Amino acid sequence: MFSKPQAYLTKVFIQIFLRNKQYIIFSLILPLLILGIVGLNDGDADPIDIGLVNNSESNLSQEFIEQLTSNNIFNVIQDSEDKLRTDLINGDLMVVLIIPRAMNIEVDNLDIKLLVDKSQTQFIQTMEPILNQSLLSIERKITGNTPMFKLVVEDVKSRTLSYIDFLLPGIMAFMLMNLSIAGSGFNVVEFRRRGILKRLFVTPIKPIDFVISIVIARMVIVLGQLSIIFSFALFILDANVVGNIFNLYFVIVLGILMFLTLGFSLGSLAKTQESVGVLATIFIYPQLVLSGVFFPLESLPVFIQPFAEILPLTLVADAMRSIANDGLQLVDIYSNFIGIAFWIVIGMLVSTKLFVWKEVAG
Amino acid sequence: MPIIKANNLVKTYKDPKDSNKYLKAVDGISLSINAGEIYGILGPNGAGKTTTLEMLEGLKDIDDGTAFINSINVSINPYQVKQVIGVQLQANEYFDNMSLSELLNLFSALYSSSNDPMELLNKVNLGDKASAKANELSGGQKQRFSIACALVNNPLVLFLDEPTTGLDPQAKRSLWDLVLDLNKMGMTIVLTTHNMEEAQVLCQRIAIMDYGKIIAEDTPQNLILQHAPDKQREVISGNMEDVFIALTGHGLRD
Repeated sequence: MFSKPQAYLTKVFIQIFLRNKQYIIFSLILPLLILGIVGLNDGDADPIDIGLVNNSESNLSQEFIEQLTSNNIFNVIQDSEDKLRTDLINGDLMVVLIIPRAMNIEVDNLDIKLLVDKSQTQFIQTMEPILNQSLLSIERKITGNTPMFKLVVEDVKSRTLSYIDFLLPGIMAFMLMNLSIAGSGFNVVEFRRRGILKRLFVTPIKPIDFVISIVIARMVIVLGQLSIIFSFALFILDANVVGNIFNLYFVIVLGILMFLTLGFSLGSLAKTQESVGVLATIFIYPQLVLSGVFFPLESLPVFIQPFAEILPLTLVADAMRSIANDGLQLVDIYSNFIGIAFWIVIGMLVSTKLFVWKEVAG
Repeated sequence: MPIIKANNLVKTYKDPKDSNKYLKAVDGISLSINAGEIYGILGPNGAGKTTTLEMLEGLKDIDDGTAFINSINVSINPYQVKQVIGVQLQANEYFDNMSLSELLNLFSALYSSSNDPMELLNKVNLGDKASAKANELSGGQKQRFSIACALVNNPLVLFLDEPTTGLDPQAKRSLWDLVLDLNKMGMTIVLTTHNMEEAQVLCQRIAIMDYGKIIAEDTPQNLILQHAPDKQREVISGNMEDVFIALTGHGLRD
């Protein structure tokens, strides 16, 4: 099934890669750095600095301040309003709370002013409920009401997921995409431009022999590179993988296959080395933001989410994360496989239709 | 018995300036090349020489007409044709980071055969370069190496596309010697060239192409008699290149 020309060409592609030491180092250095920084800094989050101006001298304000201080999310800095306003503008503080002079039991409907930098919308959204909650519990204490309800948060997955555990499958998926695209699309255009492809097709090999060889060689290369990153995360950074590692590798193999075919499509669409670079950028960058590799998909605008969910990188990253972080089985993520299969078919159609193998002369 | 037989070959391209128009790069070419012959195709740039060769080599589809090499139909069995021919292309770039002997082993493997790379390199005078990389070679060495690559499958027919373009006189003469040696061993050689002297020295028959058509075909001697009879009577039979070679010698400089 595997002919001598195919086997030899595969060997040569791997050999060429292994001799390009610079490329190997550069392709590994970024993921190693990102994971290393995250992994070594994976303790408790630093408390957030918030400013507080206390214009009141009542017990009530004192109690409110104690409540806030006891919450280890915040690091409360008390100072004058002028000083704190300047810090806020300079970006040293996220918010400044101003407690009015008239903070005591006799006054109803009291406003506590919150000075914010509106550009930090997401942060403010997180802050508000916490502040409201603190105020509410102080209010209850003072009025002597016992709360009717209490929300107890219990993690049904009962595991500890650190940021590196969340990040690892995403980083691996992202790496897988870059390496596969570079290994197919870029290679084909480069080989075609330099006339190497034509030289190969002077011999009796068929285009399919070339494609099989480059796919298998790239598969071996990318699996090797990913395994280095994976071992680094597992053994040096103590990352946790909940699910089955073989299942994870199954997804990785499918992902490489998908991005290789998509890479061939990009290579077929692009006529020159420059345009393949631009095409690859157009292909890669939106996915970096929209695929949930670094941030959860839920933080994206709602209208874009359905689109984001069918992106090739989302499908792979999500499948890998479901296995690595949630311990899901392959059957549980069948919809991802349908999506990946869909992209593989698209990639094959585009690259066989557009890449005029016969006219490699260009 | 011709080893190459082509009848009314046509290659049509879309006009890049006007997509409704078509250009005929090759316009009804017929060839009959005998086994053991050195056959030259001359013509200005864009005359269709390379396209003609690439159709014979199975690299480009034949839009119309038929071509047979060693009685194999090129359109129907291009892969069988590729087994019996050796091809030197105008561009000769190879994979980076691979030595000459590794590249020759690769090309042998692509024919599902094996061949001793040292023997091939010695044949083209590159025996001492076995572990060099292709991009470290000079122009003449590169051309000789690309001939070595074309010989890995012991071809019956060798196609050379402008083999001496850009070479210095020493490298050119050394390549001519190589071509004549290969021909002496029985190989049929088809070459294109811009160099009139080369055509005259090497080729037993020459076709002159222009605008996709063959406008003249004969032995060099007959072509001169027919088309330039006055020049024939001139006393000087050598030229400046002979003077240059006589003064600077035959030794290779690279």
